[in-house]
Amino acid sequence: MNSTDQHISNIADAITEWLQPDNFTLREAIDNTVNGGYFGFEDVKHRILTLKSTLKKGDLHTWAQRSGLRLNSLENKKILCLHAGNLPLVGIHDLLAVVMTGGTYIGKLSRKDPYLLPSLINKLELHKLIENAQWAGRLDKLAGGSPADALLFSGSGKSVKNVEDRLSELMLISGSTPKLIRTANFSIAFITDNNPETMQDLTEAVFRYGGSGCRSVAIVVAPFHLNSEKCSFTDYIESFWLNNPQFNKPPKSLEYRYAYNHAMKIPQAWLQDFLIEENLDIPQEKYILHWVKGDFNTLENVVSRFGNGLQSVYSTSGFIGKKAGPYIIEPLSQAQSPPIWWKPDQTDTITWLQNEL
Amino acid sequence: MDTKGWSEYIFDSSISFTERCLEVYRFQKEKNQLYNLFSGALGYTGATLAGPEAIPLLPIRAFNQGIISVDGVSHQVVFKSSGTSGMNQSSHFIHDIKIYKRAINREFFTHFPDKNYALICYMPGYRDNPNSSLILMAQYLISRDRSGLATFWENSDFNPGKWEEQVNKNGKIPLLFGAAFGLLDIIENGKSPFSGPVEIIETGGMKTFKREITKEQLRKKLSEGFCIPQGSIHSEYGMCELLSQMYAIGDEWFTAPNWVWVTIRDPENPRRICNPGEEGKIGIIDLANVYSCPFILTDDRGVADESGRFKVLGRWNIDDPRGCNFLIDRD
Repeated sequence: MNSTDQHISNIADAITEWLQPDNFTLREAIDNTVNGGYFGFEDVKHRILTLKSTLKKGDLHTWAQRSGLRLNSLENKKILCLHAGNLPLVGIHDLLAVVMTGGTYIGKLSRKDPYLLPSLINKLELHKLIENAQWAGRLDKLAGGSPADALLFSGSGKSVKNVEDRLSELMLISGSTPKLIRTANFSIAFITDNNPETMQDLTEAVFRYGGSGCRSVAIVVAPFHLNSEKCSFTDYIESFWLNNPQFNKPPKSLEYRYAYNHAMKIPQAWLQDFLIEENLDIPQEKYILHWVKGDFNTLENVVSRFGNGLQSVYSTSGFIGKKAGPYIIEPLSQAQSPPIWWKPDQTDTITWLQNEL
Repeated sequence: MDTKGWSEYIFDSSISFTERCLEVYRFQKEKNQLYNLFSGALGYTGATLAGPEAIPLLPIRAFNQGIISVDGVSHQVVFKSSGTSGMNQSSHFIHDIKIYKRAINREFFTHFPDKNYALICYMPGYRDNPNSSLILMAQYLISRDRSGLATFWENSDFNPGKWEEQVNKNGKIPLLFGAAFGLLDIIENGKSPFSGPVEIIETGGMKTFKREITKEQLRKKLSEGFCIPQGSIHSEYGMCELLSQMYAIGDEWFTAPNWVWVTIRDPENPRRICNPGEEGKIGIIDLANVYSCPFILTDDRGVADESGRFKVLGRWNIDDPRGCNFLIDRD
């Protein structure tokens, strides 16, 4: 086994140990997360199960190969990660990218997910895979050292300048610090049938985590109108919600949207906690699925029109691997359980770090 | 109330705003099918309400997606927005243009009496839109001026210095009226075309051209460029979806005429009126819109003070839409 393989094996071992059912630290982190009202139990459970199936040794090897990982390529380089908190453990991808490259991890945890990631960081520290790590829930607690060599973060385009200003003010970055800024915030599904498997996958892709992930489907392009599919689709959704009750509830403004659609005669399905409407609009608001009747050309038009905030395009077997605009179509079934080597905003984090530093 | 009486009734300040407003609400519920469907879906099925604060406000994009009008009336004019930013144009179908003119007369001249001011309208971008409500307003104001001094400034032959001389001879104050970026263009080369003091009414539209700047920045630039104190710079808040305008005189705080009520609404729950100092979406009840829809929730960001004055802070943008957009919590 060469040293890169050994490094990856060590990471995989630490992750496996962390994910063991008898890992009291993780169990405590889950309890604190659920009891503290940060995420629902079903969402945390789904996330942990997904990580169990996508963070095996072979998966890390594949990521290493695809990204061109070089052992310790970022040794002594400080990588500042600003972690999101919209999904449980959403920051794990950046954390592991830093660990894989041997960089020094500096993490700003989200206040919305304060327990889960630290339980993994502690495990990686125990395995000596992270040294000199600094992490905190507040940016000012990370200030004081030399500026980071690179910055990883995701956020709305509008927040970028404020974030950069704040980081510069605290001297956490310098003017020359390379920044990987990810701003995509929704995904599109293209379906060509209403088979149970397709509709179940679509339901999962839209409603998992209350639709709040950047991989969550906010627009579906389908060959039929919403009204013709509404009843059966609602059955799938209700069945999903029975096992995965939606943790976060929408604001009252969603009711306004429903009333507006009703007045404007826009076809819609009102699900109390979610709204589906047959109306192509910029997917800005949460808890709304935009339904568009159309074919592959329609999909391409939608991708071209809304490409700015688009994360991924999904479909079923006949279309996986094809391109819709610049996007390679991914399996709909993997919308909420992506492989570890998936590229947020079409950029592999390891490749980017190695190229920039 | 028959439809012929509205153009008098809505402006009648001897009747309380609440009474006029609830009368208009009843009319809308009865005659505006779209508004009736909208408010009905929110649970407002009856024609009576406790007060104007309970009236549901229709999202302004309705003017972008449909014909907003009471039933059975013809339309004399259609106002259209400039339709920038790749968006569709909004259309406001006007049944009675007299109401628009009456609203202009009552509010504009309250602040800028024509015996004191000579108007010069600089609106180059808007002249391309024949359905611009702002252009119609400017045309109307110019046509009403008996001194003959009020004018458009629309081509390079126009000599503002010469016009200014005439205005000064008549003992009036030059009043430059235009969209924010048009006004900035005038002083782009660093020199005011006027030799003496002028007053300015800027109509916003800061997102329309070039880039977005704050009101504070705009006022500073105009003050420096035209060499006038900020107290001489006024703002107008209007849009094609409204038949009334509001003015901020010498500062950033707008007041509304007696037939308009502006509140700041919680974007997450538009039924809730924000507290003074709390930012939200600007909600407007404009009774002059009696034949279209007077109850409107704009997409503008605003804040009100204790006395009901309000500031316009730009567009309401959803900074944290779905997705990984929560990365930087506020420290």
